[in-house]
This record gives sequence, C-alpha cells and structure tokens, in this order.
Amino acid sequence: MAKWGMVIDLGKCTGCQSCSVACKAENDVPHGSPEEHQQQRAPFWHKVFAVSQGEYPTQKINLIPMPCMHCEDAPCIVVCPAKATYHREDGIVIQNFRRCIGCRYCIVACPYGVRNFNFKDQVSQEYHRPDLPLERTDKGIWPFPQRVRGVVEKCTFCFHRIDQAIREGKKVGSDVVPACAEACPARAISFGDIEDPNSEVSRLLATRGSFRLREEMKTEPKVFYLYG
Amino acid sequence: MEINRADSKDKAKHGRAGVSRRTFIKLSGLAGAAVTASYAFRKYALAATPTSESPGSEFPQVEGVVSEQLIPTSCLNCATRCATRVRVTNGRAVKITGNPLSQVSEGENCARAHVGLQVLYDPGRFTLPLKRTNPVKGRDIDPGWTAIPWEQALDEVSERLKTLRDSGQPHRLVVFHGLNTTSGEDVIQRFATAYGTPNVISDAGFDNEADKSGQWLADGNYTQSAYDLPRTNYILAFGASILESYKPLARSLRMWGKIRRERPNRAKVVVIDPRYSVTALRSDQWLPINPGTEGALAMAIASVIISENLYDIGYIENWTYGFDEYKALALDIKYSPESVAAVTGIPTDTIRQLAREFAQTKPAIAWRGRGATSWPNGSYTSYAIFCLNALVGSIDVPGGVIYQENPPYRSMPDVTEDDIARAGKAQPIIDLRKTARFPAAEVVSNQAADSILEGKPYPIEIAIGINSNFNMLAPGADRWDRALATVPYYVHIAPFPGEMAEFADIILPACTFMEEWGYDHSPPGSGFAEVRIKQPVVAPLYGTKSVANITFELARRQEGTIAQSFTGIGNDAEGFVQYRTSSLAPWEEFRKQGVWVGPAYEYYKYGRIFLTPTKKFEFRSGNLQTLLLRAGQSTGGVATLPHYEEPEFLGDPVNYPLALLPYQPLMSVENGSQNYPWAQEMFLVMHGQGWNNFAELNRHTARDLGIRDGDAVWVESPYGKIRAKARVFEGLHPGVVAIATGQGHYAYGQWQTGIGINPNEIIGTDYDSLSGQAVFFNTRVRVYRA
Ligand code: SF4
Repeated sequence: MAKWGMVIDLGKCTGCQSCSVACKAENDVPHGSPEEHQQQRAPFWHKVFAVSQGEYPTQKINLIPMPCMHCEDAPCIVVCPAKATYHREDGIVIQNFRRCIGCRYCIVACPYGVRNFNFKDQVSQEYHRPDLPLERTDKGIWPFPQRVRGVVEKCTFCFHRIDQAIREGKKVGSDVVPACAEACPARAISFGDIEDPNSEVSRLLATRGSFRLREEMKTEPKVFYLYG
Repeated sequence: MEINRADSKDKAKHGRAGVSRRTFIKLSGLAGAAVTASYAFRKYALAATPTSESPGSEFPQVEGVVSEQLIPTSCLNCATRCATRVRVTNGRAVKITGNPLSQVSEGENCARAHVGLQVLYDPGRFTLPLKRTNPVKGRDIDPGWTAIPWEQALDEVSERLKTLRDSGQPHRLVVFHGLNTTSGEDVIQRFATAYGTPNVISDAGFDNEADKSGQWLADGNYTQSAYDLPRTNYILAFGASILESYKPLARSLRMWGKIRRERPNRAKVVVIDPRYSVTALRSDQWLPINPGTEGALAMAIASVIISENLYDIGYIENWTYGFDEYKALALDIKYSPESVAAVTGIPTDTIRQLAREFAQTKPAIAWRGRGATSWPNGSYTSYAIFCLNALVGSIDVPGGVIYQENPPYRSMPDVTEDDIARAGKAQPIIDLRKTARFPAAEVVSNQAADSILEGKPYPIEIAIGINSNFNMLAPGADRWDRALATVPYYVHIAPFPGEMAEFADIILPACTFMEEWGYDHSPPGSGFAEVRIKQPVVAPLYGTKSVANITFELARRQEGTIAQSFTGIGNDAEGFVQYRTSSLAPWEEFRKQGVWVGPAYEYYKYGRIFLTPTKKFEFRSGNLQTLLLRAGQSTGGVATLPHYEEPEFLGDPVNYPLALLPYQPLMSVENGSQNYPWAQEMFLVMHGQGWNNFAELNRHTARDLGIRDGDAVWVESPYGKIRAKARVFEGLHPGVVAIATGQGHYAYGQWQTGIGINPNEIIGTDYDSLSGQAVFFNTRVRVYRA
C-alpha cells in the first residue's frame, strides 16, 4: 500500500494561489463573504499563508501553500470523540461527515489550522456538483454532493482522484495528482508515494533540503517543503 | 440586497417573457428549470422587469455524470489569453484547467483562470438589452433602465450610426475597447474602418505604452519586449512585477519554476521596485529604489559597464549605432555610481555589483515594467533600461531579448471604403496621437476624455464602449464620468454592469469569453507564435451575443460598403474565426486541439529586426530624430539619447510628502469587474487578506504619522481623498504609500460594491511625453488618521 505525500518546492512557488483556487473549484468548497473573512470563518481546504520576519529593508516574507498535512501521528484523530476522522490505509486523513458531531475538538487540536467548520447551509444550486464522487467510494465515505452544515471539513489530498486513477490503472503522481498540484503553473507541487524510493517525491526529498511545519510537535506530517 | 438565486418562491412569481421560444422549450424540458427576475444594477430597479433564466437553475439536479465534455478554449481574465480546457458536466462548466498543447505557458494557467467559472455564472450579468429612460447622466444617477428586445436595440443603435454617417460625420463616432479577444479586436477595427472613424481607442494607454516606445526608440519595434525567460541566467527587473501583473503572466509563472529549480544553473533575479512585490519576495535581491529614479540607475549601470570595459564589443561594433554619444553621456559625472546612489538611494557598491553581475552573467536581461516607465519621463527611462540589453549583447540571443513572431492569420480582403469613410478617417484622431503633443504615441487612452470634454478637435456624437471600464482604470477617473455624460449617445457592450456602463444610453449584453467564438494570442514573450481558439463551452446564457456577432449584425444593418466589408470573411463570429485560422490548421483539428503552435524561434536575425534608419540598434534614436524634426521640435542635447530626467511629481512635497504607488495584485481580474468571490477572498496574498485593499505604509512612515495597523486613514492628493484602512508593511520604501488596484467598484455586484478603494480616483492626469502613456506613479499624497 502506497503512502501518499506531497512535496512543495518553495524555490519554485510563485505565490500565485492557483493551488488554493483550484482546490475550491475541484472540491466545491464554498466561497466566503467579507463578513466570514473578518470572522475567519471562510472555508479553505487549501490556503497560501504569508509568514513575515524582520524589518525593512531586510525583512523576509515567505509564502507557504498549506493543504492538510495528513500527519502520521495526527492530533485530530486522537481527540475526535466520534471517530469521525481517521487514517485511510494509504495514510490520508479523512473526515466522515456522517459521524462528525461538530464538536470541533479537532480544529483546536490541529497545529496547522487547516480544518474548517462548515457554518453554512448547503446552497444546493450553487454547490450542486453531480460530477463529484457519489457517497460511497472505494476506501471511505465521501460526503458530496450533499454538503452538511455543522460539521468539520478539510483537504482530502483529492482522494477521489487517487481512487479513480487506481481503478483506471493510471499512475498517481505523474498521470494523476491532486487539484492543487495539477494547477501549479510553476510546477512546485509534487505528489506521490513517499515509501517508494523511485517516486518523484522521494527523489526530491533525497536530493534537496526539506523541512516540515512544526516538526517539533512530532506529528510527522506528510507534506514536505523544499527550501526556497 | 440582490436576488437570491436559490429563492425559488420568487422565481415562480415571474413569467417567461423575454425567453426565446427555443430557450423556453429547452428549459421546460429540464427538471427543476425555473426562471427568475434578473436584475441589472444593484442600486437601481428596472422600470420594466425583464425575465430570463438564472444561471445554474437550468441544470438538472441529478446525481452522477450524465454528460461530460472537456472543451478546449482560452482564458480572458487578462491579456495573456492562455489556452484552457473547460470541463462541462451535465451542461454546466465546472472546472478549468490548462491545455497541455500550449507551448507558451507549457499548458499552465494562473490562479485567475479558475475564476472564469465565476465570470460565466456571475449572478449580476446583463440578460437583455437595456435602454436608458433618465436623460440625466452621472455617477450615482439612476439611469432608469428598461429592458428591450434585441432586435429593437440593434435597430436603434444602427439607426443612430446611420444618421451620423449620412450626415458625413462618421469620425464623430469613437470606439473604446477594453480587454477583448484578438478576433473581437480585429472585427471592431474593421467596422470602424469601414464606417469611417479613425477613433478607436484601446485601453493600452493605461498599460505599458512607454515600455513599447522605449524599444521603438532603440530598434524601431513599437512593442512590449519579449524576453527569452527559460534560457536566461540573470534578470534585472526594473519596476516589473513578473509574477503578479506582467504579461504573458502564466508563461512567467511556469518559466519561473524552470529557471529557479529545473536547471543545473539557477537564474539570479534582482528586483528594483519601491514595493516588495511577490516577485521581489521570490527573487534573490530586492532594491527599494527612490520612486521614479530607475532611469538614473540604468544609466549608472551603463556607466560602470562601459568604464570597466565589460560591454560586448563585437555586438556593439557590428550592430549598433550611436555608441560613442551614449558612452560619452553615460560617463558623465552625473551618472557615476556615486551621484546616482544619492539619487536612487541604492548604495554605490550595489550599483557596481549589479553592473558587473549583469555584464558577466550571460545571458542577462534588463526587464522594464510600468513601475519604472509609467512616468512623465517614461519613454526615456524605458529606452535607457532597454539599452542595457544591447550593451551586453543580449539582443536576439538565447536568453536575451527576442522578437515576437506574429501568427500568420489568413488575411482579410481590403475593407470597402466609400468617400464618407475616406473623409472621416482623414480627420485628426481625438487622442492626439502622433501630434506634436505625443509625437511617438500609438494610442493615448486617457487624453480621449479631455478631448471629448473640450469638444476638440470636434465634438463626439456617438461612443461605443466594448468591454471597457475606463472610469475605473483611468487616472483622473472623474474626467471620464464627465466626458461620458456629455456624449449624446453612448452604447455599452459588455456581459456585466460596471462604472462605465452607468453612462450608457443603451446596453447590449455581450456574452463572456466562455461562451464565444474567437482566436487569441499572448502579448510578446514566447518568441514563437501561438494561437488559441475560443469556443463556447456552454451556449451564451440568456441569449446574449458575442462582441463579434454584435458587430457583424450592426455591420449588416448599416448596409452599403460597411455590410460589404463584412462579407467574404465568414458570416458570423464562428465563420470569421474559421476564416482567419484556415491558414493555420484544418478547422476540426483546431477545434479539437484548441492550440496552434508556430515554428520554433530563430535567433540572431540581426538583418531583419532593426527597423531604424541605420538598420542597426540605435543608442541615438534616428526614429525619434525624424519625428521631432517633423514636429518642429529640437533634437539637440540629449533629446534623442537614453537619459534620466528627474521625475516631475503632481503635488508639492511639503504638503504631500508621500508618493502614491498603485499596484496590480495577481487576483485583480482585468475584465473591468471584480465581482468574483474566489478572486476576492484571496485578493492580497502578501497580507493574507481578502475582500479589501489597504493604504500600505512602511513601519517607520506609519510611526511618524501616528498611524497604527488597521486604523482608518485618509489618503489625500491635490485631486481628492479616499478613506482606507491602513496596513503597516515592512516591504515598502518609506517614501511611498501603496494601494492595490482592482477594488473600489461602486456600480454593481454584491461581491465587489463598496469593497476597498480605487487609487485612480485621486491620481492626477499626466502623460509620458513621447508615448502618451498615462502616468500612474507621480502623484503625491498625504496620509492622516480619519
Ligand atoms: S495569465 Fe491571464 S489569460 Fe492566463 S490564465 Fe491567468 S488570467 Fe487567464
């Protein structure tokens, strides 16, 4: 069984946010409003964060694209009282909307702030996306196209793409990648099996210096960053 | 509050008038189809309520994929016009991706491409032609729209056009166009030519005309420069935000990945800009220069390169003219690194370092952008920066400046002209291009407003605005409000309402680029030619029509030579595209692939690329000399040499101590609207902020002014003041206040009205003297707490 991971090359990233928009389009994540933005309630499964250090004129700002880190040792899974969030066999941290009771412990527990609470009712016309996978897929429960208010949602590494690729005998990591990686014009995002030494992600990690966010928390994220 | 599309109770109340029979039949066959009252402008109710289907409602609410298509077309959220493929599921466009066949951006798009879905399904779109009932025009005055049928609207516009032309005054028609497809532009130009007006005014004069004239001064090509990005090893970017706004954008984004991490030798990038742009952030070195002094820096770099003998002697001896004069000027004490350090604020050692690296890291590019050139001295700055490329031999070599090939579209038969057309076109153009005022100009967009206001050289009777929103885009925006209010008959053609549309007497609802036929290519960048198709991914919503089809219909209604000029080139937009691209590829193949790529680029074409009197690259501009002589102006001194002129500011430095720096973030959509939630919620990546823009200030500046982050402030210039939220930002020269453009819309749209501010409202009106480029960066302001 593969272990899916992502490598984001900050030396190539142009901060264009194609990844974040593509994610919204792909997963039908509702857009926010000015009010939701103010209250930090706007849902994002993927977001580019600006991290600023130092002062003019030697300040350094970095732009860091952030999907879910899909931690091996995921604090969100530990705290969930409803077992609504769990690892798939392939390491993807998934959220089952049916089981989710909306307690939001996971949001508090996540060191990366990548989880979102769905405050909104489904606006069926706006978000009706018949092309998204049906409820039951090979390895987990997929909530769409019925989006539910009052549950937590987050990045899935586009598992519907992965599952479909495997079904169709395509190669994940080259033929098929998550929407954010596909949309990156600088080709800064690579995806693949981190346990396969011949994968592109493994090759990048072997040849370039990398880091993970909040490594000290020992969450073992599967999203790696190459230094800019 | 706007109509909620999901409110089905509301929908049931309205009838189906205005939905054509065909649409009606189509609609009634679909489960859950409903019609809703469409509304046009947020602020104003319609006198008569037109009805039509709302986007989204016509799609069957079934589970699973009933039908799916992947349709090759292209983006038009900026002028790069990238090739895309749109996934259409059960009749609804759901996802946009790049077209891997495109070589210009190697199949990639920027973030805005995805926003095309929200352009298409913008709930604020026009659905039917609208006619004004309130004769009083002005900002915030209710036009009193009433919906009318298409036939009536086209007849009325035609009648007005005909009457004007029959009176022998076709030149009193002016056509403004914003971001249109290349094919749309070709059709518009053809119509204007056949009709007999010389007044076709594009929005290019708000963009980078001074960049273009800088190259023209040197080599005779009036064009934005193309840079061989994937092969370069060193980039000196002067006021060009390569990763945010410079076009072809998606190409730059793609090539950035390539030159930084996909080659063994990583290209070095140095960014010279008072603002720490995203490009600066991702570059190797950021140099916050004193605003408007880039020309001095370019001359100092030349001075170091020349005095240290680092220039490309072979190239200069064989292929350039005027080097001795340029050399003498560059070696003037005025341009020594020491003197220029004092002018630019960039240390002497850094200037030397830049010059040496630039000359010794081959191939290198000196890349100019509007931050450096959209100034009163812009053409000369542009020329000075461009000359650096020649100095190190980076002309038409791999990794240097290259010369864009144009696609060989099938040529059109000559326009049929009658005496009226000929006489009309012989009239002077209202934007004063190619006159003593703007000798080198190709278009002076902003001047048109003043000419209309003054009625000079003659009054304008009819204006047609096509996908234009000059009232937002132009410095001194209020002049456009006043100018349009004086035009007796204004026709606005666009898919959605906007600030300029508010002045219309009649509105013809165009479809978006997602619903039309067209061909398109990028601004210079790739070298080789590439054409992309535009084809409807869904049928035009509400029965709207493409700009090309509207033009064809108007031409037909004009009859005579105008109608004749529109025969033999295909009978409508689709036919026209088929006609024009038949020289490239068989139609079915082009439709299927969506992209045509020309032959590989050839370098070293020195025998052909220099369109100058000496047929060489000119450090002393013979082209300008000819023009100035013709205009009776002096050619002495430095008039025909690249040089630095101290920038003239609008507003005195005592009362207005800061320079206003407007900048375009990537998420600012270039079609004249910003009513797109995705683009809004990620608007300023640097600040992690959306749905707003700010008055950005350096920490020290803010402290001196007693302003804290988040304070409400006034930004006041001699021309007005706007209220903004302050943002304290480390990445800014202390002498400027930066404001992102793209916000401040007031005419329509729940996702944009009342959001942020438009810096153009307080920018004064000024021009680059040679190219007529509107100046954006020389207005001084003061900032104080509100
Ligand atoms: S660069 Fe311009 S044309 Fe290309 S995808 Fe972005 S907005 Fe569209």
